[in-house]
Amino acid sequence: MTNHQPNRRRFLTGLGAAGTAALLSGCVTATSSGKSSSKGAVTLQSNLSAPQAKAAMEDIVAAYAKKGSGRATLNTVAAETFRTQLPTYLTSANPPDVCTWYPGSVADAYAKKDLLLDLDDVWTSPDLKGYSKALHSLCTASSGKKVFVPATYYWWGMFYRKSNFAKWGVSEPKSWDDFLDLCDKLKSKGVDPIGLGAGGNTAWVASAWFDYLDIRINGADYHRQLLAGKHRFDDPEVRKVFDRWQELLPYFDPNGTAVAFQDATTSLLNGRSGMMLIGTFFADAAPKDALDDIDFFRFPVIDPKIPLAEEAPVDGYFASARTGRRDQVSDLLRYLATAEAQEIYIKGSSGTVLPCHPDAKDAGTALVKKGRKHIEEAVEITQFFNRDSSDAMQPAADTALTKFLAKPKSIGGILTDWQRDAEKIWNA
Amino acid sequence: MAVLTAPHQKPPVPTPSRGGRGRGPRRTPPLVLAFVLVPLLAEALWVFWPAAQGFYLALTQWDGVSTPQFVGLDNFREMAGDEVFRSAAGHTVLWLVLFGGLSALLGLAAALLLQQERRGVGFYRAALFLPVVFSLVATALVWQAIYQPDGVLNQLLESVGLGSLRHAWLADQDTALYAVIVPALWRQIGYVMVLYLAGLKGIDPALYEAAKVDGAGAWQRFRHVTLPQLRSVNAVVLSVIVIDSLRSFDVVWSLTRGGPYHSSELLSTYMYSTAFQSLRLGYGSALAVVIFVLAFGVICSYLVRAFREAD
Repeated sequence: MTNHQPNRRRFLTGLGAAGTAALLSGCVTATSSGKSSSKGAVTLQSNLSAPQAKAAMEDIVAAYAKKGSGRATLNTVAAETFRTQLPTYLTSANPPDVCTWYPGSVADAYAKKDLLLDLDDVWTSPDLKGYSKALHSLCTASSGKKVFVPATYYWWGMFYRKSNFAKWGVSEPKSWDDFLDLCDKLKSKGVDPIGLGAGGNTAWVASAWFDYLDIRINGADYHRQLLAGKHRFDDPEVRKVFDRWQELLPYFDPNGTAVAFQDATTSLLNGRSGMMLIGTFFADAAPKDALDDIDFFRFPVIDPKIPLAEEAPVDGYFASARTGRRDQVSDLLRYLATAEAQEIYIKGSSGTVLPCHPDAKDAGTALVKKGRKHIEEAVEITQFFNRDSSDAMQPAADTALTKFLAKPKSIGGILTDWQRDAEKIWNA
Repeated sequence: MAVLTAPHQKPPVPTPSRGGRGRGPRRTPPLVLAFVLVPLLAEALWVFWPAAQGFYLALTQWDGVSTPQFVGLDNFREMAGDEVFRSAAGHTVLWLVLFGGLSALLGLAAALLLQQERRGVGFYRAALFLPVVFSLVATALVWQAIYQPDGVLNQLLESVGLGSLRHAWLADQDTALYAVIVPALWRQIGYVMVLYLAGLKGIDPALYEAAKVDGAGAWQRFRHVTLPQLRSVNAVVLSVIVIDSLRSFDVVWSLTRGGPYHSSELLSTYMYSTAFQSLRLGYGSALAVVIFVLAFGVICSYLVRAFREAD
C-alpha cells in the first residue's frame, strides 16, 4: 500500500508534465504565426495510400533528393482520412507544404479562401508551358492565378473482357441503339449486361452514370453549371437524364447497389456481368493475366449535336498558402511537373494512368494507348461529380442516385430532395 | 474521494460510512486538493472546453475552413423541418428499443442460464463475452461478408429451401436497419450478461432459501427476489444501453453509412455525415447537442428517480 504512493505521485507529476507540454504546444498552434522554419525538407502530404502508388511516390521523392536541389519528406495518409482532414491541413498554422489533390472547382474553392499558394512562378517552367490548354485553364483559379500542378490523369469508359465478348458473340456498340441491342443480347444469354458496384462504401460509383448521361444529353457546359449551382436538379433537363437512365435499368445487375465496385469488377472479370462504366483504377486490383484481356469502348453517343465530352479526372498537387518554404516548394513542384517525375510514378504504380506532361512516356500497353486516343478525341473534358462540384455534394448525390436505382418511379420527389440538400450545401 | 483519503486514516474504521465523514472539522490536505484540481484542470481542458465549443458551434454556420458565422438558433429551426433528422430520430428510438431492450433481456437470460457453477460453464461465458473483445469495425467487416448477396446468410437460406428469402440485406431499405442491429446486439449481449452475472453473484443465497421455505416457485423467486435485488445493476445496465444506443456509430457506418438513402440513418451517423461529409459543421454540432441532451436527459431522470427511491 505504502509502495503505491510514490508511484502514484510520480505518475501524476508525469501526467502534469505531459499536460503542460501539450498546453505549450497547443499555444504554439494557436498563435497563427504562419512562419514554420524556412529550412529543412518540404513536407509532401499524399493520399495515395494503395501499396503500389505509395511505393511510386517514394520513388519520386528519392529521385528528387538525388537531383540535389532540395529534399522532400513524404507523408502518406489513408485516402479517407486525408479527405476529411484536408481543410484542417490547409488552415493549420503549421501546414504540410504540398498536398496531393484535384484541380478545377475543388481547388478553386480553397483558392477563394486564400488557402492556396500562388503558383504563377512555377508555371513559368518550360515543362508546364508545354502542357495542354485544357490543363492550363483547369489549374487556374477564378482569380486568374495558377494554383495547381497536374501530374497524371485517367479515364472512364465501358470496360469489358475481350474473351467474354467473343464467347457471347457480341461486339462494341457504335450508337445508343447498338448499345441497347447489346444489352438485350447479353440478357438473353443469362448475363447481367451492366455491372454497377454502388454498394458497400462505394455508392459514388453511380455518379459516373449520372455524369455521363448528363454530358451526353445536356452537354459538358450544362453539366458543369449544374454542379456549380447555376441550374437546379429538379429542372426538366435533369429529368431527361433520368428518363434515359430508366430505359437501361432492366439491364443493370440487380445487386448493383448491394456490392462495392471491387466486387462488381470481380463479377465482370468472371463473366457474370457483361460490362461496367468504371475508371481505369479498377485494373489495380485485377489479376495480371486478366489485364491483357481488358478492353473498353466509349460511352455511347446519344445526341450527335452535343460536343463529345469524356470524364478524365486529373490528379496532382497544390501548396499551402501558409508554407514557410516558398522557394523549396516551387522547386519541388517544378520537379513534379517534369516528364521524369511522371514517368517514375507511372513505372512504379499499376501503370494505367496517363502523364500530363506532353512528352512523358505512358506505360505503352495497348489499353493505355487506346485511352490516350480516347481522351484526345474528346472536345470537352469533365473531371467527376465530386471534382466538378465539391466533396460535400457527393453524399447528397449518393442518396439521390441509390434511391433512384431502388425506386425509379419516385424520381420527381428524389430530384426535389436533391435540390433541397444541394442548396443547403451551397449556402453553407 | 473516499478511496483517495483512505490511506491517511491509519486505523481502519470498521464502519466507514459513519467514521470517515463525522470526525472533527474538515481539513483538506494540499495533496488531496492537488489530486482533485489537477484532474479537474485536465478534464476542463480536454472535455469541458471542447464540449462548450461544440455548443457554441451549434449556433453557427461553419464549413470548417472560413470563420464560423453566428446564426443563433437557425440550425435548430432547420432541424424542426428536416425530414432526414426526423427519420434518423425515429430510427434511433427503434434502435434504443430493439437493441437496448433485446440486449437487456437476452443478457439477463444468458446470465441466469450461466450463473450456476457447472462444468464447462466458463467456456460458454467466455464464448458469449468474446464478441466484446473484438473491434466493432472488424466485426462489421465479417458481418458485411455474411450479408453479401452471395454471402453465408443467403447460401444458408438457399440450402434449407428458403431461397425465396434471399436478399441484399444491407442494400434494401426495409431490412438495412435490422441487419445492422444484429451485429451490434451480438456484441452487446455478452457485455450486459457480465454486468448481470456480477449482480447475481451479489444476491444473498439466504433470500432464495427463505423464499423456498415460504413455498415460492422458480418464477416467483425470480420475480420477487432476483429482480428487486438487481435494481442497482439495472441502473447501470440502463445507462450503458442508453449511452451505447445513442453513440452507436461504428457498426452502422462501416456496414451501410446510414444508407441506402438514409434508411438506416441514426442520429449519430447523420451527425457525422453532415459534419464531416457535407462539411456543415454548425448543423452537425447542433445534432450533437441534441444527442447529448437526449442521453443526458434520459440518464439523469432515471438516476434521480433511482436515488430518490434508495433514500
